[in-house]
Amino acid sequence: MKLFLIQLRSELTKLFARRRTYIGYGAFLILELVILWVFHLDKPREEMGKILSDAGLEVEHYYSALTVTYWMLGFSMAMLGAIYLALVSGDIVAKESEDGNLRMVLARPISRLRVLTIKYVAVLVYTLTFVWFVGVSGYLMSALALGWDGGLFVWNYDLKVFAFFPELTAGMGRLFLAMLLLSLSMCTLSSIGFAFSCLRIKPAAATILALSVLFVDSVLQMLPFMAPYREHLLTFRMSNWIYVLENKVPWAKLAESYTFLIGLDLTLFVFGWMAFKVRDFKT
Amino acid sequence: MISDADPEVILEAANLSKSFGGKPALRELSFSVRRGEIFGLLGHNGAGKSTALGIFLGMVAPDGGEARIGGESVQRKRARALRQAGAIFEAPAFYDYLSGWENLKVLMSYSGGFDADEALRVVEEVDLSDRIHSRVSAYSHGMRQRLALAQALLPEPRLLLLDEPTDGLDPEGIKWFRDFILQLREERGMTVLFNSHLLSEVEQMCDRIAIVRRGRKVYDGELAGIADDQVILEIEAGPAEQASACYRKLGGQELEGSSRVNFPEGTDPAEVARALVKAGIDLRKMTPVRRSLEDVYLEVTGDPGGEEDEL
Repeated sequence: MKLFLIQLRSELTKLFARRRTYIGYGAFLILELVILWVFHLDKPREEMGKILSDAGLEVEHYYSALTVTYWMLGFSMAMLGAIYLALVSGDIVAKESEDGNLRMVLARPISRLRVLTIKYVAVLVYTLTFVWFVGVSGYLMSALALGWDGGLFVWNYDLKVFAFFPELTAGMGRLFLAMLLLSLSMCTLSSIGFAFSCLRIKPAAATILALSVLFVDSVLQMLPFMAPYREHLLTFRMSNWIYVLENKVPWAKLAESYTFLIGLDLTLFVFGWMAFKVRDFKT
Repeated sequence: MISDADPEVILEAANLSKSFGGKPALRELSFSVRRGEIFGLLGHNGAGKSTALGIFLGMVAPDGGEARIGGESVQRKRARALRQAGAIFEAPAFYDYLSGWENLKVLMSYSGGFDADEALRVVEEVDLSDRIHSRVSAYSHGMRQRLALAQALLPEPRLLLLDEPTDGLDPEGIKWFRDFILQLREERGMTVLFNSHLLSEVEQMCDRIAIVRRGRKVYDGELAGIADDQVILEIEAGPAEQASACYRKLGGQELEGSSRVNFPEGTDPAEVARALVKAGIDLRKMTPVRRSLEDVYLEVTGDPGGEEDEL
């Protein structure tokens, strides 16, 4: 176990030493600033105020850092987050294979399964830290702009979620729980990128394939006649993190969705390993 | 498949076969490398040398046959086999965005752990102390090769697998590398498999060689005396027809397009001279010619230069 942790640290050292790993962080900081600016414009404030007052909620209390952070996570992660996570996960094996680094690794007394496990865990760590970075930095920026107080207001038309938490601590607790589940959802996208990365393809191809799977799935989910089947769709399951923000949490529904996603993650890992295991790495 | 492990044999290839897309890259390749030996694996580009090295390192799965390092099968007990080996590739691909030191730390984590004191010693040994904390992207080819040597030596292997290690090095770099490998053998009894198409390097370093052509071994033997199994004499004598008859009587064979005659091993040149004079032939000049490794190489590969189909 100790050796595994040393190897994982090495993998993370490599991952976080590359500049491209930080592009996503930088892009999200900019996006968060843009979203904050949008929330400061008169029209969005009016629209948001109307929704809140129609619901009988006090606008000043719920137009808060917690609510803006929720919107930031919801808006940004599905699109922009997906791109950066697919970029890193699609790179993790394919790039080293393309550059020849893997030859140096595979010339050592370590099994291919272990090499892949280390890389997969590193990708998961990156995914978790990335989502948490977006959530925490989004909250800090929003708090600096709007103040620390206020409740959390959640509204999602598609999933029919409408909830509010007047207390700061209760709202913050729920938001952090939502970030945890969102990061688990995003691990599935990273798993797809990782599985493609294990094939004999270019890193860019692995990234594009992972994003294609996600976008095709999103398009299917948007088609009206697919509504009865949406529980079979990946993006629907991935969006289920929002349910944890309901006032009465549907735990059974969440357990089902996350069992589905974790099962899929493991299947993708096994798929990647089987493809990687039979590959020849010629010097 | 492989005979009982001989403790003196460090590396053994037994009937290795491999095809890529139906195209044979190796055909029943067999040879063994003994403890403390520097063994050259020779062949044109695409002859199958790198495929063989890939099989020794468990990176390429053979279609048939088996490779063993220190008696352990690479195919069945890869980790145990590779614990005894270090490898250097023609163009070692390091993590350019990390320093040399960080590269060693990362690579050694896959070999069981990093010992900073040992790493310092090895880095000093390969003469890279001054630049070890610089980014590898700033390294010259020679420095990369020194770092490659360091990462290969750190796990304290007893076998070094070198794949075209001197390609792209300047003459000073080549000499340094050669002297270093010879010193490793001298001081530590290191066994080395040297995979190359640079005949001069092989000639200066190796004890034994195997020559591979189109995936098949066409020669395997000691380097010392490789050129002495035949006697070649450059002879100017006349009349030509009488001289030819005399050569044939002594088992000689005239080499086409030259005045060289190839006689069987052990032929005494003085005996040839006496026979010619006795037959009334006007012997004007006779010079013994020593065959080079290049002559032998071209003879057994049957191809004066050029590359084989890339596999």
